[in-house]
Amino acid sequence: MSIARWENALREVTRVPGVLGALIISADDGLVVAESSMDELATADVAALSAALILRASRCMSAMGKGAPGSVHLVGDAGALLAVAGPAPLWLVAVAHGDAELGRVRLLLRDFAVVLA
Amino acid sequence: MRVLEPWVTAPLTEFLRESSARLALVMTSSGQVIAQHGFTRSVDVMSAAALGAGILATTTEIATMVDAPAGFGAVVHQGAAQGIWLAGFDTPRGRWIGLVVFGPESTVGLVRMFFARFAEQVAAATPAVVPVRDVLAEGFERELDDSLRALFGSR
Repeated sequence: MSIARWENALREVTRVPGVLGALIISADDGLVVAESSMDELATADVAALSAALILRASRCMSAMGKGAPGSVHLVGDAGALLAVAGPAPLWLVAVAHGDAELGRVRLLLRDFAVVLA
Repeated sequence: MRVLEPWVTAPLTEFLRESSARLALVMTSSGQVIAQHGFTRSVDVMSAAALGAGILATTTEIATMVDAPAGFGAVVHQGAAQGIWLAGFDTPRGRWIGLVVFGPESTVGLVRMFFARFAEQVAAATPAVVPVRDVLAEGFERELDDSLRALFGSR
């Protein structure tokens, strides 16, 4: 699958109302691999911080003896970050307002993760 | 951490805390050390500063050769256990260089993000340029000793 097709798939995620951006990141180095987002979203920063979050979630799961995380959901007062594991070391990440259809976003990310693999 | 310019302390402390970097070296583009964290031997600091400044000067020349006059933002070497981030940034005192060594507890992305903040904070905190004083022979050695003491502790 090419980067152009990845970006098309990410655009499908960002078309969901309330989604600010969707990106594929490399969790190993915290960098953006592909993205589709609003201008206001600092995707490089999102990638860096998401990777840090994923790293810590992985350590937490490992410490509990529960294997590797398949997804990480962080929900705040005004928005949410959803991350779904793709083929290592890639993760799909979406940032959305609080009123976005997070369930639909999650399903899209999971479908896309399967396609990526 | 050892710093020569006190206004670098707060930004560097925050950078180290946020990025989880193991070693950090801030220097002028000519290789003069401004601050360092994590190095234990002065000879290592001097060598790293000289090599870092040399690497960045080399890549700047390569950028010119490949028609990229703005240069490259940073040089990154990623190893299995450790990585190196090397980047220049502008301050009111001229162009400075940061050399950062990070391990698996951090990532290139985190270092990139917090280094950009560090550079902004240093530029904002840097006081106006002070007039250049004449370097007198009797004061030079004392000032050099003071600088070395600040960077490497009592000797």
